[in-house]
Amino acid sequence: MTDEAPVLDQSVIDELRDSVGGDEEFIADLVSTYVSEGSGHFAAMQEAADAGDAAAIVRPAHTLKSSSAALGAMRLSAIAREIEMAGREGTTDGLNERVTEARQAWDETLKEMAGAGLIK
Amino acid sequence: MTDIALIVDDSAVNRQLLARHLAGIEIEAREAGDGRVALQMLRELDGQVGVVLLDVVMPEMDGYETLAAIKADEELRHVPVIMISGVDELDSVVRCIRLGATDYLPKPFNPTILAARVRASLADKRVHDMELAHAAQQAALLETIERQKEELSRFLSPQVAALVSTPEGQALLAGHRREATALFADLRGFTTFSDQAEPEEVLNLLREYHGAMGALIIEHGGTLEHFAGDGMMVFFNDPVPQADHVERAVRMAVAMRDMFEGMAAKWARLGFELGLGIGIATGYATLGRIGFEGRYDYGMVGTAVIVASRLSSAAEANQILLNPRAHAAVDQMTQVEEVGDLQLNGVARPMPTVNVLAVTGTPAAVS
Repeated sequence: MTDEAPVLDQSVIDELRDSVGGDEEFIADLVSTYVSEGSGHFAAMQEAADAGDAAAIVRPAHTLKSSSAALGAMRLSAIAREIEMAGREGTTDGLNERVTEARQAWDETLKEMAGAGLIK
Repeated sequence: MTDIALIVDDSAVNRQLLARHLAGIEIEAREAGDGRVALQMLRELDGQVGVVLLDVVMPEMDGYETLAAIKADEELRHVPVIMISGVDELDSVVRCIRLGATDYLPKPFNPTILAARVRASLADKRVHDMELAHAAQQAALLETIERQKEELSRFLSPQVAALVSTPEGQALLAGHRREATALFADLRGFTTFSDQAEPEEVLNLLREYHGAMGALIIEHGGTLEHFAGDGMMVFFNDPVPQADHVERAVRMAVAMRDMFEGMAAKWARLGFELGLGIGIATGYATLGRIGFEGRYDYGMVGTAVIVASRLSSAAEANQILLNPRAHAAVDQMTQVEEVGDLQLNGVARPMPTVNVLAVTGTPAAVS
């Protein structure tokens, strides 16, 4: 299911660009915020997964889900959503694997963003 | 101005995006990363925040707690709160709306929906602020009116001061006809006294006399038309109707006489012989605003007024003279003596007159 979601949905980026009147500088700024904030979310998710603390994983996963969706990082958003759900249900099984999967999606996202000229 | 939007979201991406969209519709935004910071900013920006955009899932203090804290704060509760929510969080939106949130904004953000909801909330807040300002103005206005009424009541009878501010009062001021009882009182020996005494003594006596009589007028519900030197005119049954108006006038006259006796004794020791003469007459009269633009009095005009004035002049010290109509009304409760038929100036026929010696029984309704 999550594999089917595109790593980077160009149409979301296009819509976003339109909504700010084609302000490339702003988009670049937003992506840069996303990248620097993202590493913090990964650190928090990793810490929670290592500690087997399902509740603690909810917030970073939720925020990552939401900001990824805003920038068209749909695959990562979908994985983050699953992690958030699992956290809410108190499931700790396979949490580490999910975080690893998210990290792969994160790397792919950054690569595609760079390819699309969003990351200078 | 209360047009600042406060964005409360732990995602910097979301904050940045919302701020940008708001800037596009010329709305200034401030940002907070969690609820605790948001509450602090709301208090610091003291009334300038017109809408809060609030995320649900946040560290430190989440959206529910923040919303509850805003709604529990007397100063902040009227700031509209729009919840920011993903499509899979509609349950939390419902919960937030029950907690007092105004609206919600779905993620991903659609600038058109954002603009519409934020503008609607800012307009609500502006209306609310205007209502508050209006209420404050009203309160200030009422306070001024009350103060003026209080000030006015120092110069007018309280009953007349009260008339000025009601529509019924305005109608009464315009003039009406009604049965009423007029009372005139003045001092015997005052002219001699004021010629012989020092001015300070004259003023002291008047001050003491007016103070004592004024208290009795208020106690008996009389309407004071005027004090003029040692004389005064009071009427009853208007503007406030009093079924027992004659009884009130007579009881007040007796109380005035008793009160004055003590005062007169004091002045007698200084060599001044002073006495109080009172005339009371009941009859139909015209009452209302009398005078001219710039100086009106609330007055009573009619034969009863003239008769009461003449009776007061005819009264010897300590006499309370009644016209027949007043006497008839209090016949059962007074001890009187006949003083015969008085030929009063300006009154066609001699008038059978009595002097009140005492009032018996308890007052029917004097309050």
